[in-house]
Amino acid sequence: MNHDQIVQLVGSVVAILALAGVARMLKLGQSKIANEDDARRFAEEALVGFEGGRALVSGDGGAALVAGRGAIAVLKRHGAQVAVRRLVPPLRVREAIEGATIETGERLFGPVVLFGVTADQVHGLEAPLTLV
Amino acid sequence: MDLRHLANLSPVDYAVPGFVLLVLAEIIVARIRDRSRYESKDTLTSLALGLGSTIAGILTGGMFVAIALWVYQFRLFDIGYTWWAFALAFVLDDFGYYWVHRAGHRIRWAWAAHVIHHSSQHYNLSTALRQTWTGFFGATFILKLPLFLIGFPVPMVAFVGGINLIYQFWIHTEVIGRMPRWFEGVMNTPSHHRVHHATNPRYLDMNYAGVFIVWDKMFGTFTPELDEEKPRYGIVKNLGSFNLVWAAFHEWVGIAKDVWAAPTLRAKINYMIKPPGWSHDGSRETSESIKKLWEQREREKGAWNKPTSSSSGADRAAPPPRAGSAKTAAIR
Repeated sequence: MNHDQIVQLVGSVVAILALAGVARMLKLGQSKIANEDDARRFAEEALVGFEGGRALVSGDGGAALVAGRGAIAVLKRHGAQVAVRRLVPPLRVREAIEGATIETGERLFGPVVLFGVTADQVHGLEAPLTLV
Repeated sequence: MDLRHLANLSPVDYAVPGFVLLVLAEIIVARIRDRSRYESKDTLTSLALGLGSTIAGILTGGMFVAIALWVYQFRLFDIGYTWWAFALAFVLDDFGYYWVHRAGHRIRWAWAAHVIHHSSQHYNLSTALRQTWTGFFGATFILKLPLFLIGFPVPMVAFVGGINLIYQFWIHTEVIGRMPRWFEGVMNTPSHHRVHHATNPRYLDMNYAGVFIVWDKMFGTFTPELDEEKPRYGIVKNLGSFNLVWAAFHEWVGIAKDVWAAPTLRAKINYMIKPPGWSHDGSRETSESIKKLWEQREREKGAWNKPTSSSSGADRAAPPPRAGSAKTAAIR
């Protein structure tokens, strides 16, 4: 790398941090999954052919579960948007004081925490899908 | 002005300060109009990926130039540095870009390099800077080699390619609705390119143009943005992560895993060259299967809502409208 390229690189890093800092300072991109209808809509938009039924929404609006035909949509807030995965029950659920944690099986997508939701509620949601 | 000297300039370097100021202006507009258009972590990811792309370009650019110069020695014509040559090179380079870009969406190997640009669920000017780290390995640049074979000098093609890239910056925005009709008819615009970045089945794999939208109209890949269907941005399976390395390499990792696990040599090759989502057992979603399923659903909905007799204006058996429909429920 020559001198000009190093100057460009340093300038770019400064500009990047400044722009991201301004976006953060202006409190842009705050969002939440407001209710069950919202959760169903996100699931149906993200997963073609998915028909949402009952839903559980995290108390902080940061995650949700939506039951469909034979599958469950797991939603998590990702920045100002929502990322969705289709999981086949039975779900891997961990219970903690703050709520139920759903393992998605993807390290980088990560587990999804539903605040104020119990493991029993999750099992109740998936029960009709696992009946033989 | 000496046009040979002009061709040796790097227009993108001069445009970078303008990019920064325009992103800043769009952030301020977002603060006033719609706060969900920007998100700090997404912006940081986009810009950092853009920086990574610049570094990758410095590292691999030499190899591209070497290949281009090698092809140029077999040129059919000696094209000089004239204004008409620049204009012609610009149009032909954009035509080449259309095919490079289309291949980038329809061949998984090339998609692995290009997906990074679509990995944001936002659509703003910072998204424009979210560029590939592995473009050289995607190998779609070979589709531009005929330009050198025709006889356009390498610096001239690099220059017009830079102008093309600068043009494409401003179309990554939701701030601009529609441009004048004549402009929308010929040029790529924010409206046309929003469609390209959308994951709505109707919009998937359409509008590959760089500067001139006419290529899409000529080759049957154009679809307009509909007011009643707002684009939803990102990829079919959104990452759900702001990890830079994952954004840059996740599809390469996916190819490696699939090729390793594929049962036959044919399947191994197809996991690299077939469209994204292809699988040997048909268990995954491609844009074709998504569109097909969506069209089937739309037909079913149409049949469901159709009046049951000539005297019934609306089907009384139809389900009531849902409170959380796409038009009424907005993310807060």
